[in-house]
This record gives sequence, C-alpha cells and structure tokens, in this order.
Amino acid sequence: MTVFKTYLKILSKCKMPILLYTVLLVFFGGFNIQNNSGSLSFQESKPSIVIVNEDERVGLTNNLISYLEANSVVEDIELEESAIRDAIFYRKVNYAIYIPKNFHRDFLNGEEPYIKINSTGDYQASLAEMLLSRYLNLAKVYRTIFDEEEKMIEKMNELLEKELEVEMTSSLDTTAMEKASLYYNFTNYCFLAGLIYVICLVLSSFKNEGVFKRTAVSSTDYRQLNRKLLFSNGVFAFALWLLYVLLSFVLCGKIMWSENGLLLIVNSFVFLFCCLTFALLLGNAIRNKEAINVLVNVIALGSSFLCGAFVPMSFLPKSVLTIAHALPSYWYISTNEAIKSLEKIEWNTMLPILVNMAVLLGFSLVFILATNWISRRKRQLN
Amino acid sequence: MKKIIEVKNLTKEYRELKAVDRLNLDIYEGEILGLLGPNGSGKTTTINCILSLLKFKEGTIKIFGKEMNPNAYDIKRQIGVVFQDVAVFDELTVEENIDYFCGLYIKDKKEREQCIEDAIELVGLEDFKKFHPKKLSGGLLRRLNIACGIAHKPKVIFLDEPTVAVDPQSRNNILDGIETLREQGATIIYTTHYMEEVEILCDRVVIIDKGKILAEGTIDDLKEMASIEEKISVEVYDLDPKHLDTLKAFKNVDTLKYENNSLLIVYKKGKNNLIELTDFLKKEKIKYNAINMMRPTLNDVFLDLTGKELRD
Amino acid sequence: MLWHNFKYTLEKLFKNRALIFWTFAFPIILGTFFDMAFSDIEKNERLEVFDIAVVEKSGYEGSDYLKSAFEELSAEGENQLFNTHFTDEDEAKRMLENDEIVGVVTLQETLKVTIKSSGIDETILKKVTEEIVSTSDMINVFVTENSQNGQWTIDNYEEFIERVVAEARELIETSDPKIEDISSKNMSYTMIEFYTLIAMACLYGAVLSMTAIDDVLANMSSRGKRVAVSPTPKWALVLTSALASYVASLVGVALLFLYTIFVLKVDYGTNLPLIVVLSLVGSLAGLSIGVAAASILKADENLKTGVILAISLGGCFFSGMMGITMKYVVDTNLPILNKINPANMITDGFYSLYYYETLDRFYFDLVSLLLFSGILLFASICVLRRQKYDSI
Repeated sequence: MTVFKTYLKILSKCKMPILLYTVLLVFFGGFNIQNNSGSLSFQESKPSIVIVNEDERVGLTNNLISYLEANSVVEDIELEESAIRDAIFYRKVNYAIYIPKNFHRDFLNGEEPYIKINSTGDYQASLAEMLLSRYLNLAKVYRTIFDEEEKMIEKMNELLEKELEVEMTSSLDTTAMEKASLYYNFTNYCFLAGLIYVICLVLSSFKNEGVFKRTAVSSTDYRQLNRKLLFSNGVFAFALWLLYVLLSFVLCGKIMWSENGLLLIVNSFVFLFCCLTFALLLGNAIRNKEAINVLVNVIALGSSFLCGAFVPMSFLPKSVLTIAHALPSYWYISTNEAIKSLEKIEWNTMLPILVNMAVLLGFSLVFILATNWISRRKRQLN
Repeated sequence: MKKIIEVKNLTKEYRELKAVDRLNLDIYEGEILGLLGPNGSGKTTTINCILSLLKFKEGTIKIFGKEMNPNAYDIKRQIGVVFQDVAVFDELTVEENIDYFCGLYIKDKKEREQCIEDAIELVGLEDFKKFHPKKLSGGLLRRLNIACGIAHKPKVIFLDEPTVAVDPQSRNNILDGIETLREQGATIIYTTHYMEEVEILCDRVVIIDKGKILAEGTIDDLKEMASIEEKISVEVYDLDPKHLDTLKAFKNVDTLKYENNSLLIVYKKGKNNLIELTDFLKKEKIKYNAINMMRPTLNDVFLDLTGKELRD
Repeated sequence: MLWHNFKYTLEKLFKNRALIFWTFAFPIILGTFFDMAFSDIEKNERLEVFDIAVVEKSGYEGSDYLKSAFEELSAEGENQLFNTHFTDEDEAKRMLENDEIVGVVTLQETLKVTIKSSGIDETILKKVTEEIVSTSDMINVFVTENSQNGQWTIDNYEEFIERVVAEARELIETSDPKIEDISSKNMSYTMIEFYTLIAMACLYGAVLSMTAIDDVLANMSSRGKRVAVSPTPKWALVLTSALASYVASLVGVALLFLYTIFVLKVDYGTNLPLIVVLSLVGSLAGLSIGVAAASILKADENLKTGVILAISLGGCFFSGMMGITMKYVVDTNLPILNKINPANMITDGFYSLYYYETLDRFYFDLVSLLLFSGILLFASICVLRRQKYDSI
C-alpha cells in the first residue's frame, strides 16, 4: 500500500497534463465535427455559396438566386470583397457568384453577360459550378424558344424541379458512427501523450538515481516493488481509460451502446494495454525527465499525424501510410475505421479487426520483453 | 588604519520583519573581518545592502569613502563577491565561467587570461579547466564559485558562507586561498557560522543576531567578554557528594558536573583555579589523573551572548 | 564588455540542449509531420473520377441517349467524371456492396439511382444524372416548341425534326456558360499551418530571451546577483543579452524557413523582402514577450516558461495551428482576440502576402506586431530601470 499511496501522491502532481489532454479530447474529439443529425434517407450534399447580386432581384435573376438557394447553403457572411475572399480561402464558402448589373435584361436580349465566380476548386465548388452552368445552359436554350420571361421561367422550373428517385442501401447511421470513431481516433493522441508522459514521469521519480539507490539497498524485495508499481500504473491507466469511455458516452450518445460502439471500446482497451506496456518500457529505459518530455511529444505527435488520428486516414498519402504500419497507432486507428463501416458482425468482416488487435498485442509483447531485458540490466548501476 | 567600508545606521525591513536594525559597521584595510551569526540573523542581508542590491529604509553606506550606489562602477570594480549559492552557468566550462564573470570587470583579454590562470591556481582547479559544472563534486563547485568571484583581483572581497557543505580537503583549500588573498593585500569580509574558521582566519569578528551587532572585536577581546574564564575536567574516582558540595562552594566555580568518574567544572573569572583544585584533591587524598584545561571558545562567547548555539 | 556578454550569452543559449531542441528542432519536426499529414488533403478534396455502374432494364425511353451521355462523361480527358461499368443488376449490386462503385444508375421505367450512403460523390452522381435527363427533356421541349411555330410539312417532318434536334444539340454544346473565374491561384489553405509554425518559432524565441535576461537580473537568479555587483552597467548587459537571444532566435527561424522552403516546399508568396521583414518583426515580438516575462513576472523559471508556452501555443491555436477553421471563426466572430494575438499577427501577415495582391492587410499586421512589441518592451524597461530590489 505504501507504494500505491506514494504513487498516487506523485500522480497528483501531474494533474495538469491529464486535465489538458482530457480537455483537448473533448474539444477535438467531441465538438469538432458538425452536429448534423444522422439520417437514414439520402441527404444531398450542398455546397456553401455566397451570391453578390448587383442586378435587381426580379425575373430571371430572381429565379437564378432562388434556384441556387434551394440547392446549396447560402452562407451568411459580410458581402464585402475581403470578407468573401477570406471565406473562400478558409473554405467557409466554396463558391462565390457575382451577378452583374442588368443581368436578366441583357441576358434576355441575347447578350452574354459574364457571371464572375470565385471558387475553392474543391468538389463542393465543382458541385456549385455544376448547378450554375446547368441553369445558364438551360436558360440559353429556352430564351431562343420562349419570348416571355415569365413563361420561360415557368418552363425552366418545370425541368429544374424534376427529381430522380434515389434508393439508399445502407442502414448504418454513418454520421453518429463517424463521430464516435473520430473521438476514439483522437484518444490515440491522449493515450500516447497523456498516459505515457504521466507514467514515465512518475516512474522516473521512483527510479531516479538517488531514490533508486535507496530502494535498492532497502529490505524491500525489488521484484515485489516492481510488481506494485506495475499494479499502480495499471490502476491509473484503467481509470483514465474508464474516464475516456464515459466521456464518449456523454459526447457520442447512444451509438456507443451499439455493437459497433462496443467494439470501439474494446479496441481502445487493447490499445490502452499496448500504450501501458510502451510507457513502462520508456519509463524504465529513460530517467531524464527532459528527455522523456521530448520523446513523448515527438512519438505522440508523430504517431497521431502519420496514422490518421488528426487527419483522416483516407486523406493521408500512401507513402505515409506505409511508414505508419510500423506504429501501433496505425493498427488501432485502422480498426476504428473498419468498425465505423462495419455493417454485419460475421467471421469474415471481423477477421481484419481481430488481426489488427492481435498485431497490437504483438507490439505489447515486444515492449514487455524489452522492458524486462532493460530493467534487468539496469538493476545494477554502471 | 584606513577605513574601507563605513556602514552607518543601516536599517532594512521586510514587511513585518526587521532584518537589519540600525547597524553600524566599519571595515579596515587589509583585515579579515568575520561576520558571525546564526541562520537568519541578517548577515547576507547586510552584505546585499552594502552591495546596493537591496533597497534599505535608512542608513548610509560608504565604500572607499564614497557613497555606494548601483551605478558606482568605479567602486564595484574593486569589489569581489562570492555568494552563498553557487552561481555559475551549467552550459559553460570552468574556464569559460571564470572568463565570463571576470570579463565583466576586465576588458583587456591578455590581462584577463592571467587573472583566470591565477584564480584557477588559487582554488586548485587546474585539472578541471574544461569540465562543466555538472561534472564537479560539491567541494570543487564551491571552489569554482569562489574563483568566479575573485578572478578580477578585487581589493575588497565578500565571502558569504563559502564553505557550507564542503568536504575537509576543499575547505582547507578554500581557507588557504583566502589567506593568500589577504597576503596579496585584499580586505575580506567573511560570513560564516563555523566558529573554527573564524578563529583560524579572522582578525576581527562581529557577532550579529536579529539584525543587531551584539559584540565586536578581536577574538581575544571577545573571549574576554565571556563571563567564564575556563573549564577544567579531571578524571577522578570515589568522589562523594560531600566533596562536591565543598567544591561548589569555591569562589570562582560556576557549575559543576560529575559523571562516570569525570568531573567538569566551569569557572567564572578569576585566577589560580587549577592550583586550588589540585590542592583540594591532594588534601582529601583523592586519586586523579588526566587533567584537562580548556580556554573558552567563541562558541561559548556566542552562547553567552545570544543564548543560542551557533550551529543549529 | 558588450561583445563579451553577447558572445557568452550566445554560447550559453546554444549549449542549452533542451532549449535548442524546443526552439529549433521541435518546429522542424512538427513541420515534417504537418507535411506528411497534409500533403494530400487538398488533392483529395478535388473532384476525382469515380466508378459507377449503369444497368439497363427494359422500359426506359431515352435509354440510348442516356447511355451515350454516360459514355461521353466516361471518356478519358479533361471532362471525365465517371468510370462507368455497363453491367447487369446482380453484378452492380455486388460492386456497390464491396465499395467498388459509388452508385448504380438503373435505366427502367422510372429512372433510379442506387447508392450506399449519403455523400458528395453520390450527390454528384444524382445531379449529373438529373442533368442528363433534363437535357434530353429540354431537347424534347425545344423540338415541340419549334414544331408548333416552325415550317414543316408532312413530307419533310423527319428531316425537320432532325434539323431541330441538331440545332438544339449545337446550342447546348456551344453554349458554354459565360462564367469568369476570378479565383486566386494561391488557394492552398494548408499553408496556414506552416505559417503558424513560423509564428510558433518566432514566439518560442521568448524562452531564449527570458533565459538570457534572467541570468543578468539580480532578483531572478544567483548568477544575476553576481553580475549585478560587477562594474558593467545593467542596461548594457540586458541589451546585449537580449540582442544575443534575438540573434539565436533568428537563427532558429531562418533554419525553419530554409527547411520549409527547400524541403517541404512551402509557398510564402513572392515578396521575399517583406517575408524577411515580417520574420524579423515576428521574432521581435517573441523577444519582447521573453523580456517582459523575465523582468515583470516574479516567478521561477519553470513557471515563466509555462506562461510563455501557454501564450505562444494558445496564440497558435487561435491562429489555426490545430485546424485553420479556428482562425476563421475567431477572425470573424471575435476579431479582437486575434488582433491582440501575436501568433495571429504573424500568421495573418504571411497569409496576406500569399493570398492578397494588395499590402494593406500585411502592413496592418506588421504595425500591430511592432505596437505589441513596443508596449511590452516599454513596460519591461519601466521595471528594469529599478536597480535595487526590495527583496531578492
């Protein structure tokens, strides 16, 4: 009990990092994704646009704006040039449309007034461009056959409003699942940076040269002491994991009760175990607190960036993902991704997930063996 | 003798605490002045005030006859300070550390090189020139600390407890170094709570407690001030209480203790105490041997003046 | 004396391994991670050719037209949208199940699009199919309308229809909409991440100057006491120490620049002199934070370092280091926060050099930085003027 109590006392000095990483987790893992309600019917993606209309809002111009409004999200931003440019750059708006003065009159008179656009060039912008050019193409053909503006608009809308029948096969609530897996992907960073850092700090307090010598000459059984330390670390890791799991229930809601949600939790427990063994290895191998700080930061940030904890895996270059195979985080996060789109729990869908978990346990085994080797070598000082 | 430092009426307060209380102090050229006092007595504060590091409430401080202030660079050039804490850079080697601090006093590179060499020789760090402070043992580190403070050959040197937690070998080295510095003509102000050092080293001692000077003078002067003359211990056997009562009644005896065949008598002022005692023992036919006579130490003086042991 | 302190301060800083790691190496390592993680993001956000299946069932009238339209959109070239597999229902179902295709267009009585889940590719498939259908409808309308008031006889009716359809086709094909693209070429928002990195390196310089200046202040370190009793004037020591730390921090920023430009290919725009000026002034802001922390904050070194790191990392956070959306959100909703945030002033300065043709915004950022540094330095000087202390 003395060891555990001392452990807790030293641990209480590390409140700040634990709090910091938990706050980060809640912020980035919990709130970062927009909270659009999941739906089981097809939802069209709508590009974000702004419309700067210098024409009067009547007739064809009015109809164009209404059409765009119906098929995209018009962002409510200041219609000032630099504000629009900023909004485009930061992807708040994908597409800005400038309707020139006298557009509808000139257009109906057979002229070709230019509509200026400012675009981000991404697929949302392509979608917006598709909408705009479809409208203009249609208007161009119809102005040759209809003389009256009103008739023409009516006929145009007849076509524009026709919708195709869409059938959606998946019954998975992807939005909620997306959020949950995002949250668990981010725990990768918190476990690596928070858990490992704290465990290493506490271990280094126990194993710094002075204290280490004192324990080594005391009548305490060295192996028993190590076992007690292991137990304390395990308790701490488990408590932290429990906290993160509880938080996930709060932040992600009832999806966590689903089979997929529970699989995410199991997976995170396997990863926690892997982190714990790695922390023990690091804590036994390095006793300089400054060096621990450096290493933990580099390892945590590196693993999180390269394995898709911050940027989704599907956005990472292939070469980076190849390197990432060498890191435990890769196996943890790819399992999360697999669970996200897992529809049926069957042997062949579960197999890749189980393989990933086995790889994580393999990593843990290597860490444990290395820890044993090192701590045996370090028992006597050079 | 020329007065080098003149402190008049110095008072320094930290909120509720009076750290230095109307203190007057004169320091003369060429002397080693011991500033003696228990922990928290105001020694370091006094020095920091003299050096113009601390603001103080009242008083004047003159060094070389001139008013001391933070911009009195001509005065500062003549002063060397060795602080209580080791104040060196971990990133620099022994030699570089001395060079850095010396360089704040002496611009000329050649002159400085000579100074560094002398300082290293003085503290005996010749073999450690290229070492970084982290690799030095406690005693060596203290020596480096001293070298950094005195390399520029100052006329006045303040040493604030330079031997705290130092091994005997390094301590002897440090004390020898201080002697050498004095021989080279420096005036030294030395604070410590090690009595032996003061007795070996100092020409004059000032005892401070609670920011006030309790006594000052040469070591002999101070010992004069003590209310006791001497202590005599004798190994005697078969002394009974009656004898003790008789002994107690002697004129000069202050206190008396008899344990395990050893008698210790503390005498107040007065002469011929030993003769009186031996005569008595012979008369009563009491066997004795191993008579030991001790003159009072500064510690006794200190105890007498402050009621505290110096080392706590 | 000045050179002496300058030289030794530089030496001390460069030999402090932990300090050099965090100010020099860490931004470079972080930049490498950024580069690895972000290099493909923008490419992935562009519309790419994706796979679909078209299944033909009986009963749909415009089958041929639709098929040819999908063929056209699947032809390799600039306008290719899809990679279309013409196949049967079962195979299409299997492909959809295995995520080999985005969706299936079934040509039957009522045209149907089958997809797995909602998404951008799915939306594009739907919209494009709708457009194809509406184009064919449009031709029908065109023909009907033209035949109502057109000149044709029973004899030349077919010929007439053919002519009208061809006319309509031509009208559609030649009528590229008159859209003028005024988008900037410099649209890469991941650059912001690297700009925040430069901002971080500039502000981390504060730790260097704090360390350097603490060493000459009697109330901050025991070494400072030693320095304070020497005959070298305090202003000279503070000035040269500050200068040395400034030089050290510039070396770090310069290294980061070289690394990001030549290895990571970060684009800072073309105005090199202004880029240099901005980095110099950015580092000055870092310096001023360090000087202020050293002189004004009465705390131990760890706490001071903590405060500096909190300011720089917090500043970088609000200027978009952990997601550029944060910068935009703060810029538009709480502009005052980013107007006093030195990390954002630096980031925004680089942003305006990269994205804007005019320099108003850049100069605003530059002047803000100078003002920020000026205020902190002035406050520090006021404190530093004190030569004696109440307690040390």
